[in-house]
Amino acid sequence: MISESVLVELQNILGREDVLTAREILKTYSYDGTSQWTHEPDAVVFPRTAEQVSAIMKLANAHRIPVTPRGGGTNVSGGSIPVLGGIVLCTTKMDKILNIDRENFTATVECGVVLMNFNTRLAAEGLFFPPDPQSFLAATIGGIVAENAGGPAGVKYGVTKQYLLGLEVVLPTGEIIQLGGRTVKNVVGYDLTMLFCSSEGTLGIITKAEFKVNAIPPAKKTILAIYDDVAVAGENVSLVLKSGVTPAKIELLDNWLIHRIEEASPLGLPGEADAVLIFEVDGMAEAVEKEADKIIEIARMNGAREVRPARDQDEANRFWMARRAGFAMIFGRAPTVLAEDVTVPRGQIPALIRKCRELSRKYDLEIVVMGHAGDGNLHPSVLTDIKDREHFARAEKAVEGIIEAALELGGVLSGEHGIGLEKQRFFRRALGPTVTDLMKNIKSLVDPNNIMNPGKIWD
Amino acid sequence: MEDLNELKKIEQYVDQCMKCGFCTFFCPIYQEELVESSAARGKIFLTKQVLKGGQQLSDQAMDIIGKCLLCKACAVNCPAKTQVDRVIVGARAEQVRQQGLPLVKRLIFRHVMANRRLFGWTVKLASKLQWMIPGKQGKMKHLPDFLKALGQGRNIPAISSVLLRDQVQEVNPPWDSKAPRMRVGYFMGCATDFIFPETGLKTIEFLTRHGIEVVVPKAQSCCGTAIYFSGDLETGRMLAYRNMEAFKDLDYVVTTCATCSSSLKDYKVYLPENDKQRKEFEDFSKKIKDVTEFLVDVLDIPPQEFHLRKEFQGKTITWHDPCHLVRYQNIRNQPRRILQALQGSTYVEMPNADRCCGMGGSFSIYHYDLTKKIADRKVESVKATSADIVVTACPGCMINLADHLQRAEMPQQVRHLMDLFE
Ligand SMILES: Cc1cc2nc3c(=O)[nH]c(=O)nc-3n(C[C@H](O)[C@H](O)[C@H](O)COP(=O)(O)OP(=O)(O)OC[C@H]3O[C@@H](n4cnc5c(N)ncnc54)[C@H](O)[C@@H]3O)c2cc1C
Repeated sequence: MISESVLVELQNILGREDVLTAREILKTYSYDGTSQWTHEPDAVVFPRTAEQVSAIMKLANAHRIPVTPRGGGTNVSGGSIPVLGGIVLCTTKMDKILNIDRENFTATVECGVVLMNFNTRLAAEGLFFPPDPQSFLAATIGGIVAENAGGPAGVKYGVTKQYLLGLEVVLPTGEIIQLGGRTVKNVVGYDLTMLFCSSEGTLGIITKAEFKVNAIPPAKKTILAIYDDVAVAGENVSLVLKSGVTPAKIELLDNWLIHRIEEASPLGLPGEADAVLIFEVDGMAEAVEKEADKIIEIARMNGAREVRPARDQDEANRFWMARRAGFAMIFGRAPTVLAEDVTVPRGQIPALIRKCRELSRKYDLEIVVMGHAGDGNLHPSVLTDIKDREHFARAEKAVEGIIEAALELGGVLSGEHGIGLEKQRFFRRALGPTVTDLMKNIKSLVDPNNIMNPGKIWD
Repeated sequence: MEDLNELKKIEQYVDQCMKCGFCTFFCPIYQEELVESSAARGKIFLTKQVLKGGQQLSDQAMDIIGKCLLCKACAVNCPAKTQVDRVIVGARAEQVRQQGLPLVKRLIFRHVMANRRLFGWTVKLASKLQWMIPGKQGKMKHLPDFLKALGQGRNIPAISSVLLRDQVQEVNPPWDSKAPRMRVGYFMGCATDFIFPETGLKTIEFLTRHGIEVVVPKAQSCCGTAIYFSGDLETGRMLAYRNMEAFKDLDYVVTTCATCSSSLKDYKVYLPENDKQRKEFEDFSKKIKDVTEFLVDVLDIPPQEFHLRKEFQGKTITWHDPCHLVRYQNIRNQPRRILQALQGSTYVEMPNADRCCGMGGSFSIYHYDLTKKIADRKVESVKATSADIVVTACPGCMINLADHLQRAEMPQQVRHLMDLFE
């Protein structure tokens, strides 16, 4: 519990309307995009400046009150849930786009800016921010940096860290620091900017970010390919990449999703098909044509049952809508979904999918597979119900199996969703004790009183 | 624990939400407040807590859950297709079930609004008192809490000196006295009856000129939206049956109020207590046509048959999509088809034409400050078009748009689509 006097001080820093303590409102800050955990904070605060954030952190540090940063609350790893109560520091009111520099291809934004709004403003200048987490309608810059988010465009464009040039951060002890700069090249001491990228809110509050942005490519094209065997689809991904074509996106949907798509908004996909790949190529118009032709040729020559280049942007949009609806379809089908986020070296995708099928049979569960085939980041989702103890136990076993398989195949625990609460139990095993302890030491150096999003990443 | 009857009925919609948070992007209230409890995800989570027994349906909880424009922007964009509107209406209904209606609402919904004559008299009486209220124009509000709406400094249109119902015949044969091509009921709706009778007269004239016999049953009532969306499903049902009785044996029922047309169509969604009622409401909904879709989809009137009135010649026109047309009825192209083809005026599309104007019926009375902020964004959109006239097809939107355009000292007139024609 937070004392009355601390609340008064918070109100002095922020004004009354930006300190919320009503029970009903606290409940709405007890969750994120996951369905397994909830915990209420004691207060939710809405700073508008780095100075206010600093004052809040000093106060919290002096009173040893846990502070959990929260942007859009869309993460799917439990990251923004205040598991030890205390303060939720919500950044949604720090939502200004401070600068867009067309000459230098950079942009400066506050942490609470929603990605969609950022891209809308950039588009007016002919620019875009390439990392594309599919939660762009609600995810904020702070959350995107803190999770090092990425999306389908990862194949060609990489993830957030490839665009991060500098940060303004408020440390748990209240100091406001500037890291990095505005240049693409920068080698001045340790790269602390990257330390905060994917820190999941455990090292400080990101208040501002400086990004590199790209010019919008003049042309793009979408191609959908249908396969009778998901392994063949996986091989096609490798063949395309080896041919020298780097598509902007390569997404994979499995048979289960093909069925759901046909039920909801049919694209005429054959029910017996085992997998679908959706490719997008972008760039100069002539290059896009050539690259698209190459993909079509490779797919046709190498076992695709059918290859469909989108006739126009409308059809392309329909293909992508189907892909985007995937998550909702999965979540709509079960009370609890364990949405995995493992990532394997790209060549191992067929092996990982085979493993998922094996586990699905072994534990008698539905496991849906979709994901970013182009960069090896898959989202096998186990459909279950947390209220059904026995079923849920089997589901957790299956998740363990998926993770073990991914690690064996040379992959990692999480590609984009982060560790949060979701993957704590695998953390030490994945990184080993030395690296885990090094991280913990860094944490206690930056946050001596362990008030910054405590209880996350490791147990 | 309470038995939560009304809430149980909407539990399946509560369970649809997967907490992705995309609703925040579309919610006009969230966009002003930036607080989770404003958006559907927060409201649905709280409702779920009530269902699970971890939360009372307290006044505080209802202040959060109920604070909704019911614009449906979140619902139509929800990846999980969560029927947020049903959750909100269900929660309000549960509150009414548990606590009864507050006295003022009970009086107004059950006795004044439900009784068309009495409602008319009350409104007339109120209009006689308009001189008491300071301001440029007569300031009056047609809906249940119109008395409360006074004194908030809003620009509310004057109540018409003669109500529509007192100006029209029950049966209006085609102008050319030939056998009618169809018999159509005209549902006037409260706002058209009391504030915009001109629109009603124009519509009846337009339809009779096109060979239609227009029947305006005296027995028609309020459509009930304001009442059942407030959770009073019982009075809503009573009104539904009254209207169904009043509009029997007609080919179609046409209305010039987007809210009314969606309401009459959606009795089947919000009101049925059993399969028999559902069937009756479904049958009734098949006859209902908003005037915009009636002209385009049913009558298929060629563009050259819409003659622009003189006063609008040479003007630039823009269109505002009422929530109840564009999202509740998926009517988007029909009015545009008419406006774009009109000879003598220029059509410009406004940015975010389908964004809620902030009215939300009685929402604007309880949360006028929010209404103002949301409406200001609409005013900005209108400004961006440099149009002379904002056209729409919902009296609620018309009242609100006029209020806020006037507040911003903008020159635009607000008109109903049917007001434009000769
Ligand atoms: C439907 C759906 C699709 C998704 N698709 C993708 C995808 O394609 N790719 C992907 O990478 N992710 C995806 N995600 C996950 C999620 O959207 C991302 O992790 C996103 O970056 C989180 O942003 P947020 O603003 O919602 O952060 P939150 O959920 O609020 O917080 C996430 C973490 O960041 C911390 N944090 C937030 N703001 C700050 C700050 N200012 N300073 C320091 N720490 C902070 C929080 O403490 C928490 O640990 C998806 C989620 C959903 C629901």
